[in-house]
Amino acid sequence: MIRDGENFAIALLGAGIGFLNGFLGGGGGILVVCALVAILKMPQKEAHATAILVILPITIVSAIVYVFNQRVDWLYTLFATLGVIAGGLCGAVLLKKLDPKVVQIVFSAILVIAGVKMFF
Amino acid sequence: MTYLIIAVFGFISGILGGMGMGGGTFLIPLLGFLDIPQQTIQATNLISFIPMAAATLVVHKKNGLVKNHRVLIMILPAVIFAIVGALLSNVVEDKILKISFGILLLTLAACQIYEIFKPKKDLE
Repeated sequence: MIRDGENFAIALLGAGIGFLNGFLGGGGGILVVCALVAILKMPQKEAHATAILVILPITIVSAIVYVFNQRVDWLYTLFATLGVIAGGLCGAVLLKKLDPKVVQIVFSAILVIAGVKMFF
Repeated sequence: MTYLIIAVFGFISGILGGMGMGGGTFLIPLLGFLDIPQQTIQATNLISFIPMAAATLVVHKKNGLVKNHRVLIMILPAVIFAIVGALLSNVVEDKILKISFGILLLTLAACQIYEIFKPKKDLE
């Protein structure tokens, strides 16, 4: 019975997160991590890894819709992608050297600044 | 010049993404500094993270960190509603998308700040 309830909650959250990620073009990954930790009681590390499995198909499907809607600028996308790959490699190395608590605090601060910025 | 700035913004959000903190989340506000339609910013964000996410997934999978069981229950509705969301974003004004994203970011910030100050129950 509990399992049924859990499954329903996961499906419902999946629908909501999928919608948000498609509508806003991002931000779903963190929500998936929260959902996996809160409902499936996954440890943080596994939740982060598994979240990518969830978010990747959502991202691909959303991207296809944006392509059909002719919203993609391929040159912008190319340069952004190159930057993301280079940054991603640096981030993975940095992560091992930093205190997780400090990372979390800096991350929260950036979220607040970025969030407020969106209103202007 | 714009391309260089976009690459730098990609780099910054890639660093955060590589640290496992939703890097895609930051490319959107950063690209907001440039004069680009919001839907195009969102498309750029979505596509630019696919290669890194795919590569990261392969590594995590090898390390046995990916737990497939029951996740399919989440993926199926997520994919269907992602299509709905993406279609809807095409007919909505930029301003609405920006403000909605701002609200999402502030909500995520609140969750993060709660996590920081939450008393630790489990010692792993």
